[in-house]
Formats: sequence, structure tokens, C-alpha cells
Amino acid sequence: MNCLTNNTAARRYLRRNLITMLLYALSLALSISVFLRYHPTGLVAWLLAVLPALPLTGLLAIFGLYLAEEKDEFQRFIGVQSMLWGIGGTLAVTNIWGFLESFVHVRHLNPILDAVIFWIFVGISIPFLLGRYR
Amino acid sequence: MICKTNNPATRRYMWRMTITMVLYVAFLILAVETFVHYRPTGALAWLLAFLPALAIIGQIAAFGMYLAEEKDEFMRNLQIQALLWGIGATLSVTVTWGFLENFVHLRHMDLILVYPLYCALSGIALGIQKMRYR
Repeated sequence: MNCLTNNTAARRYLRRNLITMLLYALSLALSISVFLRYHPTGLVAWLLAVLPALPLTGLLAIFGLYLAEEKDEFQRFIGVQSMLWGIGGTLAVTNIWGFLESFVHVRHLNPILDAVIFWIFVGISIPFLLGRYR
Repeated sequence: MICKTNNPATRRYMWRMTITMVLYVAFLILAVETFVHYRPTGALAWLLAFLPALAIIGQIAAFGMYLAEEKDEFMRNLQIQALLWGIGATLSVTVTWGFLENFVHLRHMDLILVYPLYCALSGIALGIQKMRYR
């Protein structure tokens, strides 16, 4: 995947992304297996629960680093715009879902999925933005 | 508040924001009153739950329009940076909370709270950005 681009910032982003995703998979596997086998409580339980959240937060930081390192202004502009569409889309979905939860008691949406929704909106918006400015 | 600035984009944004806030309050009162007195079900219940969310989506769109209309590049960049920090911080909180919900059975986070949380964090980020570039 790293060979897909010659852009240094993009290559660095892809490498960091891959490492963070691996860390996410490892930390999630670790937390689940410890919870299943040892049923931890108190501070250890909280620490283990927070552990997989750290790489997911890291994904956002990595995208921020990419934006700071990207020298091509157009690519940076597309990155920023896609994040803005991601924010709008995520807040729209969570708001609608939140009111549906409150009023018509739809299933609770786990807040972890907010990050997933955000990246889906970012991903969908990029081809549209690229098409618009072609 | 609208008279505080001569910037046409800001004035338009303030107007749109005021209208969507009034709509939000009206829709919320309508939905709560109808649910308390008539206990609607089916499509009507979904529609009533959707209405207040629609006003919030209007607020998000109003801010998007402001960013598109703002001619002062410095101000636009400052606002965009604040929005990006805001989404990073918000998703960090929601993802962490989500894992705590799953693993240590922390209270469900009401999704309606994601938008105010985002506004608060973006507001803090904007304040820090303004101090930084003073």
C-alpha cells in the first residue's frame, strides 16, 4: 500500500496508519481476552477499557500530522474539506439517532461508532471533492 | 449581537443561527408536548423525533455556509483549525466513553450530547487559536 504514492507525507501517513491499526487490533484483543479470563475490576478494568480507544484517537492525530506535513496545498485543502464534511455528517447522524433514542427508543448507538461514521463520511466526500475541483 | 460586527458573512451566520435556534426550541417543545400528551407511535413518532435534529443540522449547515462566505482568509483558517481540533477532541471522548460502556458498563452516553460537546470543545480550541495568533 505504501508503494501507491510518491508523496512523502502520504507515505508517512499510510505507514503510521498501518502501525496504529495494528496497535488497535492488539490492544482490543488484549482487553477482550483479559476481560473474558480474569474479569478485572476497578482501575485495571478502566485502563484496559481505555487502551483500545488510544489508537483510535491516534488515527485522528495521524491525519492531523499528515495535514501539517503535506506540502501540496490542493491535497491539504481536500483533506481539510473532507474532514469538515465528516464532522457535519457525523454530527447530523448522531443528532438524529440521539433524538430517535430519546423519543422512539431505537437501539442505543455505541459512541465508538461515531469515529467509524466520521471516517465513512470523510471517505465518501473525498471522491466528490476531487471530482468537483478536477 | 448581530450588530456587533460589520462582517456580512458573520451577520448572515448570526441571523441563520438565530432562526435555527428558534426552530430548535419550537420543534423540541412541539415534540415533547406531543409525546407527553398523545404518545404518538409509528411514522408520526419518528417524524416528531426527527424535527429537533433537523434544526441542529440547519445550524451545522449555517456554519458551513459561513465558512464558504467568509472572505477573511485568516478568520476562515482560524475557524477551520478550531473545528478540526474540536472533532479530534470530541471523537476521542466518544470513543473512550464507548469502550468504557462496553467493558466497565459505564452509563450510556446520550448521543444528543455529542453536538454540545463538539461545540464546547471547538469553542475552547478557537479561544486557544486566537490567543496563539494574537
